[in-house]
Amino acid sequence: MSRLNSTRELEHLREQLREQRRNITTTVMVCGGTGCQASRSQTVIDAVRDELSRQGLDTKVRLCVTGCHGFCEQGPVIIIEPGNIFYCHATPEDAFEIVYQTVMRGEVIERLLYTDPVSGEKIKTESEIPFYRAQDRQILSQNLMVDPCSIEDYIVGGGYSALTRALNGMAPDKIIKEIKASGLRGRGGGGFPTGHKWSECKEAPGDEKYVICNADEGDPGAYMDRCVLEGNPHLILEGMMIGAWAVGSRKGYIYVRNEYPLAVEHSRIAVKQARELGLLGDNILGSSFSFDVDIARGGGAFVCGESTALMASVEGKVGEPRAKDVHTVIDGLYHKPTVLNNVETWANIPGLILKGSSWFTSKGTRGSKGTKILALTGHIKNTGLVEVAMGMPIHQVVFDIGGGAVNGNPIKAVQIGGPSGGCLPLDKFDLPIDFDVLSEAGSMVGSGGMVVMDGRTCMVDVAKYFLTFLQDESCGKCVPCRLGIDRMLEIITEITEGRGKPEQLDLLEELADTVSQTALCGLGKTAPNPVLTTLRYFRAEYEAHINEKKCPAGVCKALITYWIDPDKCTGCGVCVQGCVYEAITGSKKQVHVIDTQLCQKCGICRSECKFDAVQTVWKERHQDVAICQS
Amino acid sequence: MPPQTLEQIMGGRRSQPNQLIEVLQDIQKTYGYISKEAMQAVSQGLGVPLIEAYGVASFYKAFRLKPSGKNVLTMCMGTACHVRGARLLLDQATGQLGVKPGEMTTDGLFTIEHVNCMGACALGPIVKENGSYHNHMSPAKLRKLIETLRHHKTEDNQNVQTQ
Amino acid sequence: MLQYVKVNIDGAIIRAIRGTSVLHTALEYGICIPHLCHVPYLSDIGACRLCIAEHMVNGHSNVTTSCTLNVEEGMVIMTNTDKIRKLRRNLAELLVAQAPNSRAIQDIAVRCGVKEVRYPFRNGDCVLCGRCVRACNELWRAKAKGFVGRGKERHVDYPFGARPDFCKQCGACIQLCPMTIPPCDGPMKPGEERLCGQCESQLMTNEQAPGGCVWCKLGEGFGCGRYVGSQAR
Repeated sequence: MSRLNSTRELEHLREQLREQRRNITTTVMVCGGTGCQASRSQTVIDAVRDELSRQGLDTKVRLCVTGCHGFCEQGPVIIIEPGNIFYCHATPEDAFEIVYQTVMRGEVIERLLYTDPVSGEKIKTESEIPFYRAQDRQILSQNLMVDPCSIEDYIVGGGYSALTRALNGMAPDKIIKEIKASGLRGRGGGGFPTGHKWSECKEAPGDEKYVICNADEGDPGAYMDRCVLEGNPHLILEGMMIGAWAVGSRKGYIYVRNEYPLAVEHSRIAVKQARELGLLGDNILGSSFSFDVDIARGGGAFVCGESTALMASVEGKVGEPRAKDVHTVIDGLYHKPTVLNNVETWANIPGLILKGSSWFTSKGTRGSKGTKILALTGHIKNTGLVEVAMGMPIHQVVFDIGGGAVNGNPIKAVQIGGPSGGCLPLDKFDLPIDFDVLSEAGSMVGSGGMVVMDGRTCMVDVAKYFLTFLQDESCGKCVPCRLGIDRMLEIITEITEGRGKPEQLDLLEELADTVSQTALCGLGKTAPNPVLTTLRYFRAEYEAHINEKKCPAGVCKALITYWIDPDKCTGCGVCVQGCVYEAITGSKKQVHVIDTQLCQKCGICRSECKFDAVQTVWKERHQDVAICQS
Repeated sequence: MPPQTLEQIMGGRRSQPNQLIEVLQDIQKTYGYISKEAMQAVSQGLGVPLIEAYGVASFYKAFRLKPSGKNVLTMCMGTACHVRGARLLLDQATGQLGVKPGEMTTDGLFTIEHVNCMGACALGPIVKENGSYHNHMSPAKLRKLIETLRHHKTEDNQNVQTQ
Repeated sequence: MLQYVKVNIDGAIIRAIRGTSVLHTALEYGICIPHLCHVPYLSDIGACRLCIAEHMVNGHSNVTTSCTLNVEEGMVIMTNTDKIRKLRRNLAELLVAQAPNSRAIQDIAVRCGVKEVRYPFRNGDCVLCGRCVRACNELWRAKAKGFVGRGKERHVDYPFGARPDFCKQCGACIQLCPMTIPPCDGPMKPGEERLCGQCESQLMTNEQAPGGCVWCKLGEGFGCGRYVGSQAR
């Protein structure tokens, strides 16, 4: 394909490509995202491709290797159109049947269909599956139609028509006005109004400006940015092009974290393809707009998700944030005005430009418009990526879409917003997904990571986990973050080991408050949130650890022991063999016993036992039969 | 080390300090770690003070300053994996191999690393072994995996799907 | 050509030089804002956070470090509110718990109002103020030492741990370090873990003697040990 020199040529190419595909009757979309890759989807892809070739169907049937569909637990996932047929847990051995029965004869293969965990019924189409039905997949649904490594797919589906509209009839001021009117707020965590950010950058003095896509996605438990960038990189590029046109930038960067090799590769391919067609470079589509993008890789640092640290990293330096008394829209990358937005924010732009701000504002609440992608994980039936209109109450996400609790363990809390966010208890599940409402409750929407926790999670341990994470990721420059988090962790560790004192809770709160007010950057400022929310909503668990030396959830190792229930033990010997510390004794068919002096509580015996005989009990109740959790 | 490959890595990036991280990434991928000689060559080639190059290499988790074992086991410590017991996996591995995270076993066979989220949260706990992702791991499965790797004679790994 | 702006610091209207920091302006004027990582002839990084002040913007206050905040016309700064004093005291408490043997850090802690230390003392030998690193990079430009590692592992070191031959041995790093003054092992003695407030800081570049302080009334306000101590004499 040769370089496009005008928007008319782009439309012509689009027509041409659609014409070429006129003969395609069926499209088989197999997920090639990282999640399904971990479930060996590559072998399925190869098997289906071979089978189609063997049957001579290459010209009539299109095999599209797509990005993530969001329902990773069901992978490898295959969707077949027409019919919207949804197959899950596909294996290479199924390839023949899929091609022969479904593709060629339109017949559905029952055993590959999704089984609704509540009703037990088989569901035929993707749109009927409860997990998908309650969602509003504006961005994620676009993943289904494109092979991320094919710019043709993107163009056939209507891609780059937003860019065309922008270049043809929307001056920069008009675009910024539209973005402002939409109320779009940053999807990376800050929730800053995007229109204002762009406007400030445009007005900043200087004619060298940058736009950056933040694909650092360091929040553990969040993988929506990976999904969108891996699955549809051109969507991001188009968004960045429109942004660059609006603020007057000629150079952009996509900063991808080191741990996402597939996202790096797909972004690079997309940039190369865009350059070949002249969608990046000088005088794009014959206009006065020149813009190019490079990919910069992260080095493995959560702190580089912070804007000033990210820019330092692009400049080849250590990712140490700097004080933001002057904002990065004025003084950013290489001290030039810079717009930095999250992947999901950029992904919203093309649709917004095409459909207009009133369409965008029709979804969501007064302060939070549009849709948000959430990564729903943890102790829940349906884990995966979920896209909903802002304003949906938490309980709807957790129970209707997520399917509710697993194995009858009642849900206790949900952690929203990653390490900067907070834990909300069950009685707060009526709160909506909304930037301001969740902030007031002490949590935050953040990047959209939602981890559901049931009774098997100790909330003090959760606070300890996040502090450990933040201590590891802190750049270490400023005193409150480096020493403050360290001391908070010291106190919480003492509490989890049964050495806590009541006055430490007040000290913990005071220290948390000090850190949040004096830290240099967002990492430090929000680091106390997990501690503060768990103290606010789950104080009873802290008090149990301190006053009774008990861990109600049975997690904190120092406060529990492992014990074999003599009523359930069959003497099979599996745990004896599995124990690397040789802490279990017992002859065949005799009740086995754990020597608590040798036991390291690694959990192998508990996971191996098929009779659920290994239990965790409170240390002092070891002699009793009292069991705190199974 | 073969000077040519280092030359190739540095090619087109000389005297560009902002390429430091990209260059170090390529060296890490090629050699498995950043040696003293490589660091000095990078410092000179890019025009970055040695202490700055050293500082950058020690700041980012992606770079190792010591060689790593034949099998690198990377454990995900993200939130979703954590609530499913990822901590137990780390304890299992360090106990079984007798090394701390980041260290190499004395027989040169294993290095244990931990990472804060690999982005496959629905399938946790995740252990990445030399490029392949293993999902829904448990301490028992991990023990078997380590034993299997210990008995592997060849470098050939059928399961490699991503770098 | 110098340009001037008028700023309001703690009620005093001060004529400040545009392009300088609030901290520099306050110190020049005689308003004492405690600080550790600030050195007049080196760049400011805002690492110790001791120089925090409240910057009033549109009716609400931002807590920010005065060393990284440049003066602007009409700026209103408050350096000594209850909130700031409490935050500063907590920060100083963290510092002294980390490195109790340093006379300079003890002095700062006392001046910031730390009475009791609620954390177990650790015998740290570096508070990562970065004075040595900046001196090496900016004064004699040897660039022999720098920050290495991240977070809890962050420390000052030479490349690969060995002093390179391009270290000019200028001694600037040693002169500026708050830890190299002969240590006072008072707080680390078992049973005596507290601050007595008898040691004087030798951190400031001006000559140190009780009479050298400018006797800002605010020192009295936050119980500056030097002021209170000399009153008692």
